[in-house]
Amino acid sequence: MDRLKSDFSTVGIVLMGVGIVINIAMGRIVTTLSLPLYLDSIGTIFVGAVAGPWVGALAGIISNLIAAFFGNPANFLPYIPVAAIIGFMAGLFSRYGWFKLWWKFILAGVITGVVAALISAPITAYVNSGVVGTGMDALTAAFRGMGMSTLQANFLQGLSTDPLDKSISYLLVYSIIQALPNRYLDRFPRAEYVR
Amino acid sequence: MTVNYGLYVPKQSGIHSLHPLTKLAYLGFCLAVSWVIPGTWTPYLVFLLGIVPLSALGQVLPNILSGAFKAVLPFAISLFVVQGFFWPEGTVLQQIGPFSLKEEGLFFAIRGAGRILMAVSTFLLLSYTTRPDELTLALGQLGVPNSIAYVILSTLQIIPRFQTKATTILDAQRSRGLETEGSLRVRARALLPLVLPLLLSSIVDIEERAIALEVRAFGRQGPKTSLLVLHDTPWQRLLRWLLLLAALGVIVWRIYAALAPRFLS
Amino acid sequence: MIHLRDVTYFYPRATVPALAGLSLDVPAGQFCAVIGANGAGKSTLCYTLAGFVPHFYRGKLTGQVEVAGVDVPAASLAAIAGQVGLVFANPFNQITGARFTVREEIAFGLENLGVPLDEMRARIDDILSFAKLTELAERSPFALSGGQQQRLAIASVLVMRPPLVVLDEPTSQLDPIGSKEVFAVLRDLAATDEATVVLAEQKLEWVAVFADRVIVLHEGRIVADGPPGDVLASGDLTQYGLQPTRYTQAARAALAAGLRRDSAELPVTLEEAVEYFK
Repeated sequence: MDRLKSDFSTVGIVLMGVGIVINIAMGRIVTTLSLPLYLDSIGTIFVGAVAGPWVGALAGIISNLIAAFFGNPANFLPYIPVAAIIGFMAGLFSRYGWFKLWWKFILAGVITGVVAALISAPITAYVNSGVVGTGMDALTAAFRGMGMSTLQANFLQGLSTDPLDKSISYLLVYSIIQALPNRYLDRFPRAEYVR
Repeated sequence: MTVNYGLYVPKQSGIHSLHPLTKLAYLGFCLAVSWVIPGTWTPYLVFLLGIVPLSALGQVLPNILSGAFKAVLPFAISLFVVQGFFWPEGTVLQQIGPFSLKEEGLFFAIRGAGRILMAVSTFLLLSYTTRPDELTLALGQLGVPNSIAYVILSTLQIIPRFQTKATTILDAQRSRGLETEGSLRVRARALLPLVLPLLLSSIVDIEERAIALEVRAFGRQGPKTSLLVLHDTPWQRLLRWLLLLAALGVIVWRIYAALAPRFLS
Repeated sequence: MIHLRDVTYFYPRATVPALAGLSLDVPAGQFCAVIGANGAGKSTLCYTLAGFVPHFYRGKLTGQVEVAGVDVPAASLAAIAGQVGLVFANPFNQITGARFTVREEIAFGLENLGVPLDEMRARIDDILSFAKLTELAERSPFALSGGQQQRLAIASVLVMRPPLVVLDEPTSQLDPIGSKEVFAVLRDLAATDEATVVLAEQKLEWVAVFADRVIVLHEGRIVADGPPGDVLASGDLTQYGLQPTRYTQAARAALAAGLRRDSAELPVTLEEAVEYFK
């Protein structure tokens, strides 16, 4: 209970806000550079890493609410559970000491990506009738053409992008943590797990 | 720059002055009906009867129509292709080369697009007619903590500023010869020098922003007051409860209708 | 109002203390300026008075810190919040972002304190005119200039009516026009005698105009303490990494060149210099 209270300290709250800003701004920059990635959970992962699973999960939830506001609600609102899981998992990886070695970051990214694909698939299939409204849908169409169900096609489509996207996101979080002086890292509720 | 309330369209209208929770309850009811009641055209009917008149009353109909069109179009195209042409089996309506448009798939796509239309248009109607701070204040009345309201409102205001900063850095990097166009590898390599300084500076700012909040008694427990006052009426409160009950009723009825044949037979 | 006794403080991981056995008493109503080179401990002293040392920065604090009747090391930040107002250098980071207009931004602290609506409105109107922000009240805080934002930060703190106001180099990130606007507000604040003020500042010319008392910090210790006329004209200033005001410098140059012979007090402000060179 005390742990939770310190996670949600004023610093934790401000950190959550900054994480959300990073998510949404990164999503936009990636679009500007037209990279085939999302990178829109970097902030959530960072928040989870330095403030624990609960702050991370909440950062993901609010992030998708606000992204809906700035972009397309259909792309973000249904995926709130995915964003929450990504933040929660980052907090767990951090808790178990994965955020001290670079290759563990990549591994954590791959695992996160697989989990994200698993949870996204039924949302895409049942809430958005099997499409995500981008070029990625060509892949879903191809899988459907091979006789797969919408759910299977959506899962494979997610699997083709999410693990790569999340491991690159985790690597970016790694470079942020490396570049941040201890003096600033020290402020965060769970700094001891990433130093 | 004047005050920027995000998507909010400042107008004097009855819809604008409704209590945010009343709007939320109404839109939730519309969404429940459109998603739960079967029928290919149900979402469109709810859109026409439930969303369009209110948008007109709120003087945001053009905004709703163009906003919803822009948001739904890519989904509609994808649905038409993925479900219309790649529906595994069914009545073939049209053969185009090796692909065939199937009736079942087409109807599924139409209904799917309608559901997305409803999700998008309810969200937009709320956003166009409600100031974000009114919404968070109303959510506070439901017991959502103050800190959540802070996170939502401050990020809404900081994101546009952050974007301006990103554009500035992007231009600076370009003028120093950093390639931001060209092959995928070139663009990917442009990413790190662009974003790292930006991310670090915003993380470094956290400390001072937290201090500024503490100085303003943000961490204080106990009753808080508000300069912003929400207008509420007894009939709105009654309406909210009725809408909530009606939405629940529709959902329960649908579940019952789906499960009853299995248990009764 | 302020009672510090043998205060020593180490930031986490630090081996050199930021404050080294510092003792200070400031009576209510005094306008006290703290000067010193970068790294002398000005900011740390400000953060200690507002409770962020040790509650926010952690580290190791020894000695007695009592501010506005609050035992700072024993109290929580939330309890100190209404008692001590803190303004710091970066105006942008002091805008909460949680409110959309200048008026609402000022209200934020009062809302958190639970001040009733009518009183809140009256207090906000007062402080808007005090900080000369009335015309900007319905604007977005993000649309203001740096000087305006800093006046907003000061107004947002003053409106909470804390018995002690602490300002940590409030003009160091502002352009000359913005600095002038902020100093005009501080001069009015000094004239009211309502609040006790501690101002950490590098711009000695301004300090000389409205401080009741000047304290020189060096390596976490108080090395000089007295009325501005005495402290700022003292020859020791340079050895603490500080530059005397240009009026004192001019007078000293005149003295060295033999243009002035009298051993009268050296001037520290423009008015005194005019008098001196008459």
